[in-house]
Amino acid sequence: MAIFNLKKREIECKIVYYGPGRCGKTTNLEYIFKSYKKQVTGEMVSINTEGDRTLFFDFLPMGLGKIKGCDIRVQLYTVPGQIKYSSTRKLVLRGVDGIIFVADSLEVRREKNMTSLKDLQANLKEYGKSIFRVPLIIQHNKRDLADEGIPLMSVEQMDRDLNRQLKVPSFPGSAIKGTGVGVTLKACLMETLKSLQKEFKWAK
Amino acid sequence: MDIRLQIKSLLSEAELYRSQGLFLEAKDKYHAASAMIHKVDKIKNKESLLKAISAKIQSLEKKEEKVKTGPASPELSEKGQDLIKNLFGENDLQKAIALAKFGQFERAIVELTPLLKDDVYRLEAGKNIIRCKLAIGSVDDAVDQYNRWDSAELFTADQLASIRKYLQSRLDQKGIEKPLPVPVGESVDNNTISNSGGIEFSMPEPEAELLDINSIGITFTSGAQKGKMVEFDVNFQSGDMLSLIISKRDKGLIDDLKDGDKLEEIQFYSPIAMFKGTAVIANKIQIDSGPKQGDFCLDLKVTST
Repeated sequence: MAIFNLKKREIECKIVYYGPGRCGKTTNLEYIFKSYKKQVTGEMVSINTEGDRTLFFDFLPMGLGKIKGCDIRVQLYTVPGQIKYSSTRKLVLRGVDGIIFVADSLEVRREKNMTSLKDLQANLKEYGKSIFRVPLIIQHNKRDLADEGIPLMSVEQMDRDLNRQLKVPSFPGSAIKGTGVGVTLKACLMETLKSLQKEFKWAK
Repeated sequence: MDIRLQIKSLLSEAELYRSQGLFLEAKDKYHAASAMIHKVDKIKNKESLLKAISAKIQSLEKKEEKVKTGPASPELSEKGQDLIKNLFGENDLQKAIALAKFGQFERAIVELTPLLKDDVYRLEAGKNIIRCKLAIGSVDDAVDQYNRWDSAELFTADQLASIRKYLQSRLDQKGIEKPLPVPVGESVDNNTISNSGGIEFSMPEPEAELLDINSIGITFTSGAQKGKMVEFDVNFQSGDMLSLIISKRDKGLIDDLKDGDKLEEIQFYSPIAMFKGTAVIANKIQIDSGPKQGDFCLDLKVTST
């Protein structure tokens, strides 16, 4: 849950990158860390295991400066995608304000995307939150692999699979090249701040 | 498509999946390529190609095994542990519990031990020390710890009873037969009378003990928070009585709550189940001294689940 300091007019919110293992959540954060130096307010921390798989979470603090008279601070997290880290995903998701679901465009990962989105819904439900109400953006990652002749799902198919009911904003992306990373984050921040405005009426 | 091109395509797909860490998908493609090569006679270096693919599959299997069997919660560096403390806990107890939740049990015990001196945290710190010791696998250590507390004067009889119930239930779950000594002041088993051939009453079954609750979500039905569900951590629990410590900066969330209020919609989160129920506010006070000065202590009596 976001922290709103009325006296200092400060908001600290939490954005979580969710998605199946190896879909590019950490790569998104790494790109943000490299490319948004002005906004990044601290080191990116990654706790990895064998073969660069996220073990617990990645963490990156950002400051967006003043928006409508309020100082906005953002904490970006990723969850571990592997199925066995289910309890860690749930822990990291606690108090989330906005979510970026990173879907893998590889055809062979179609089922994993759907399983992960269902896992997200179940975990949110356990915190009394609905996937239909939480600020959520979908990123169709790894679009660059089409150039290498690797079978990818079309963006339309991915939206049919994942976004038919949710109808949330979705963006194509290539986290490794940085394409779509900024626009995805920006969309999520806007949705999150809109949702927090309803809750806290923070904007002047 | 020409079969050679198909094989080439499968191999490049496999290679890409391997580079992405998608071991299973890579293996499938290598197997498919291998099956195709077997069927074609006119391939140069057929045997060496098959051998090379087989080596790639073996290497993938090794990597896969490493990922599968890798520890779920390895011991982190002090820096990593400090980060978990700071990101996932607001007060000292929550910080220590966060370490335990991330599997950093040894450090969690180190952080919990000084909290035993704190009246507010003592019981919950004690229970969590036992939980960590059990998680590390040292059942004897957990039992020894309980026995040491039993013979010291750190906990009240009620607190000790609560810890004993918790530990005993965990031992029972693990199938370990180790009856713990009953603290002085707690009622002795009724069987003593019936075994002695004395009067036997038909007694109602004791009510099921409430599960350990980690946190609750209160849906407010009136006041400024009407319609919203707000989550609170449970700092300690004694039977059906839950105590929450609420930071003074969250005062606004509980402003509308007063002693005797009925909370009709509560979501209870325990490590093994999530359920709904109701509770009554037994006590709401502002802590007037110590490190938590200014924070609020809210006691809730669970009335139904």
